[in-house]
Amino acid sequence: RTDGRVLAVPAARKRARELGVDLAQVAGSGPNGRVRVDDVVTHAGQAQQAA
Amino acid sequence: MTKQMDFDVLVIGAGPGGYHAAIRAAQLGLKVACAERESVGGVCLNVGCIPTKALLHAGEQMAAARHASEFGLTFGEQTLNVAQLNGWKDGIVKKLTGGVSSLFKANKVTSLKGQASFVDEHTVQVGDQTYTAANIIIATGSEPARLPGIEVDQQRIVDSTGALVVPDPIPARMLCVGGGVISFEFAHVYNNLGSQVRIIEFLPTIIPGADADAVREFGRAMKKQGIEFETQTKANSAVQKDDGIHVEIENVKTGEKRVEVFDRVLVAVGRRPRTDGLNAQAAGVHVTDRGFIPADEQQRTNVPHIYSIGDVASNPMLAHKAMKEGLVAAEVIAGKPAAQDAVAIPGVVYTSPELAWVGLTELEAKEKGYEVKIGVFPLSASGRAMTLQQTDGFVKMVVEKDTDLLLGVHIVGPHASDMLGEASLALEMAATATDVALTIHAHPTLGETMLEAAEAVHKQAIHIMNR
Repeated sequence: RTDGRVLAVPAARKRARELGVDLAQVAGSGPNGRVRVDDVVTHAGQAQQAA
Repeated sequence: MTKQMDFDVLVIGAGPGGYHAAIRAAQLGLKVACAERESVGGVCLNVGCIPTKALLHAGEQMAAARHASEFGLTFGEQTLNVAQLNGWKDGIVKKLTGGVSSLFKANKVTSLKGQASFVDEHTVQVGDQTYTAANIIIATGSEPARLPGIEVDQQRIVDSTGALVVPDPIPARMLCVGGGVISFEFAHVYNNLGSQVRIIEFLPTIIPGADADAVREFGRAMKKQGIEFETQTKANSAVQKDDGIHVEIENVKTGEKRVEVFDRVLVAVGRRPRTDGLNAQAAGVHVTDRGFIPADEQQRTNVPHIYSIGDVASNPMLAHKAMKEGLVAAEVIAGKPAAQDAVAIPGVVYTSPELAWVGLTELEAKEKGYEVKIGVFPLSASGRAMTLQQTDGFVKMVVEKDTDLLLGVHIVGPHASDMLGEASLALEMAATATDVALTIHAHPTLGETMLEAAEAVHKQAIHIMNR
């Protein structure tokens, strides 16, 4: 997260929209906290379990 | 939808945005129509990107032939068949617009010919027929802005459309009013074809929006080729007389006025969104005072089933932005969660050298509060550039100091536009300068100047002294 911008690769941004995930809530595992597709899927899974 | 509609999607305008929207919507199984009052392909194909690039190439070939004597290649006297040049350019346009029509047919997009006008929020009149559609995409584009005091006749005083027809003989003296991308591209064309060209810009800088260092380097290269330009200068009036067009030019800083005579005047002071005849209010669609039809990230207007894309939606007015927005609108209509979420939209001036950039300029990054590091690699140190006789220019990288995150890339040089793809991908992937520096780039290529600029960020470039 650099200057409030969520760093995420395009495919992760797309997946987040498909799964209804707020990217800002996803813990990115890449450099500078960059969000990858797997991070989005994992986050969505955890959110579902919590609910 | 309770009522049976003629189409799932009706696209108004068949420019880059419109045809992308229509084709993607059809690919997604929707019943699509696309209405166009002029020529399929829109401004970009017919009177914009494509024909200018054809003329730019022709001019550059002429200049290259003149420079070939440096390595021992001399040609006979250079002659230009203007009719053939115009014909060749028109042939490319015809081929490409024909291609779009074929793609419409292949994708079963219904092509409607005529002015489209809203009747109500689901009904559009095209020519003398009316059609209903569940969703409507407005892609009506833009047109050249006018300048009070200068009347465009498309013969001697032209806008970008008129300038595409090269006159015979070539104008001896040409004035380009406006110091933006379009003006510089035409100035470059006509300068290479043999005209003496002057550009005047009202603002303190040419190519507004581009990085200041890149603009300076670009300006230097243009001047070296004989293109004159003045900033903070405007044209008040243009009067056609027998000996030429008398233009009153004013220095806006000093108020000093003078009259100069030209054979051709190009007015390229920007573009304005085009909504004439659309009757958007019949559908309740909001149009701003300046004529834009704004859209959200899904390209929706204030009316949820009506979308707006391309030049008519917002700046920057660029074909690749319109194309992306067309895809987004089509996908959203098909129920997909698409969005216009690009990190950066690349910009290019197709002169030689080209000026191309993506992401934040150094100034923009600082204004946004970033602490930045800069890496610059000059083309004068590139072996490939030397072999191409094109060593004017550089690659400049703007990087966040602590994180090494790439924020912007600014290139002046040959094929800068093609090198920009790598820079755009790097920005979208949130790459760091280290990522670029660790990527093996082929040698010798212009592309490896990206690697060296990334190394220069860390003061480890090999082919220059690092300061």
